Amino acid sequence: MLGEAPDARLVLIVECDPHVRDLQCFFLEREAFRVEYADDGPTALERARTVLPAVVVTEILLPGLDGLALCRQLRDDPVTRGIPVVVFSMLAAAARAADAGARAFLRKPLVETTFLAAVHDAIATQPTGIMEQQWQPR
Amino acid sequence: MATPLIAGDRLDTRPPVVNHSERMSSGNFEADHILGGGFPANSINIVMGHPGSGKTIFAEQLIFHNAGDDRPILYLTTLSEPLSKVVRYLQGFRFFDETKLGTQVVYEDIGARLAENGASALVPLLQGAVRTVSPKIIVIDSFKAIHDLATTVAERRRMVYEMTALLTAYGTTAFLLGEYTEDDILAYPEFAIADGIVELSRRRLGNRDERYFRVYKLRGSRYMEGAHGFRITDEGLDVYPRLVSPQMPEGYEAATERISTGVHGLDEMIGGGLWRGTTTLLAGPSGAGKTTIGLQFALEGVRRGEPSLYMSFQENPTQLMRTIRNLGGDIEQLQTQGLDLVYASPVELQIDSIIVDMFRRIEQRGVRRLVLDAVGDLASAATDPQRLHDYLYALVQHFAVRTITSVLNFETVGSAISTPGMQNAMSYLSDNVLVLTVSGVEQTRRAIRVVKTRGSAHDTRVREVEITTDGLSVLG
Repeated sequence: MLGEAPDARLVLIVECDPHVRDLQCFFLEREAFRVEYADDGPTALERARTVLPAVVVTEILLPGLDGLALCRQLRDDPVTRGIPVVVFSMLAAAARAADAGARAFLRKPLVETTFLAAVHDAIATQPTGIMEQQWQPR
Repeated sequence: MATPLIAGDRLDTRPPVVNHSERMSSGNFEADHILGGGFPANSINIVMGHPGSGKTIFAEQLIFHNAGDDRPILYLTTLSEPLSKVVRYLQGFRFFDETKLGTQVVYEDIGARLAENGASALVPLLQGAVRTVSPKIIVIDSFKAIHDLATTVAERRRMVYEMTALLTAYGTTAFLLGEYTEDDILAYPEFAIADGIVELSRRRLGNRDERYFRVYKLRGSRYMEGAHGFRITDEGLDVYPRLVSPQMPEGYEAATERISTGVHGLDEMIGGGLWRGTTTLLAGPSGAGKTTIGLQFALEGVRRGEPSLYMSFQENPTQLMRTIRNLGGDIEQLQTQGLDLVYASPVELQIDSIIVDMFRRIEQRGVRRLVLDAVGDLASAATDPQRLHDYLYALVQHFAVRTITSVLNFETVGSAISTPGMQNAMSYLSDNVLVLTVSGVEQTRRAIRVVKTRGSAHDTRVREVEITTDGLSVLG
């Protein structure tokens, strides 16, 4: 149901701000993750389907397809349904992120301890029956 | 922690504006109050002021207050002052804690690397610091000095833009210190991107200096505008928020209770005593009996179980205690019962610090009666007549709202009625105006006249008074 097994050490970062991206990359690689980037929603959707990352970390404000819509589309696609999404945004949108099916919400700016903890948690808590149920399309 | 009394918005009964942003304490309770709760966390702030204005002390007080076991604080010195000098003088302050150095507070001198590689080296240095130190606060002292290394305006702007982008992406609160002037606000690009701008200034007044703390800008914050006095002590900055008028609470009503002045015959002259919560201006020349009446008023309050504050700018505590003993008072007993005698030298007065001290005492002791002897001394402590007028107006309003009954002594020269300027202003602000006069050549004769009592009929005659060991009393 969840499609192919995701790459356990690959993180897909969806972010337009190069400074945020550089910091995310640095701290993730220091934790032995590999990082793929996309800086717009459609590209992120395509990359997620192709590389099947362990987790997607996305900003909400993106060109083409916003981060919440990306989250919904990943959830609605049987191939990417099992990939947890962490919404990492400058917007205070925790409730909307949860509504879109995000596993976690973090408010910018980046603090590496919180950021890495959210990524680790998202990967560690792979969907159980309950989580799958929560992820069912409405 | 209690909100300071002197904030004008303290009595605002409207629901507070909800602000979701976290705040970072400046390490100074009063400064935090001025800032609307501290600096917004993860913001970029400029602390500006001339050399010696207290910028470095302010920043160091802030960092040692916020130092903890979570993430370190990074203090970067650039080209203005060697690191060894900064740290040497830091040790003279009580907030300094050497056990935090190197772990919770990390000092680093980047002056040599900047001098070698130019202004554009700053951002890579900061990137390296973020990745290796993970600082929750970054102080750059001095940031303005880095501009001297930029060869073009474009390089300056690029450096500021890149630094801003980095510090916005990463969760840290930044303080850029610099010897900026007011004119620099329009000239330097960092002022456009700063979330907060605080100025520390110093003004010479006779043989002493007055220092002021002012917030120019603080995004997303309800801060107190204007110049707030401060002093530098071994605790760091001691800030005195500017007194502003209170918002009248919805339930505010004038008190309907009269209280005795403690002066024989005077209560009858003013319709049966002073209305509680009113302010009385007691004007007269030196030796007319103002201090005696003021003390009688305070002692009468103590006798009736009302904590009383007597603030003297003229007679020191020894002189005041002697006068009280002459009136038959037992100082120790009176102080136990609620008399608070405070003396501040008129030479060293800074009006903001006096006001803060007064309101701290009012709150701590639940003061019901208050005497200022003499309010004219505040004029010599105020550098700006308008500022003094605003302060006095706000004071009277605060007393009314708190139903504190106050007597403001005012020393006149010559005829009290014709003394221009401040007395006129005070008469306008006060509910009651009493004037004492002294006359006679071979024998001193003192008299009192009630010029005004708000909300009462009063004796319009000039009445002779005498001062004996029982105090001042109205004759006949």
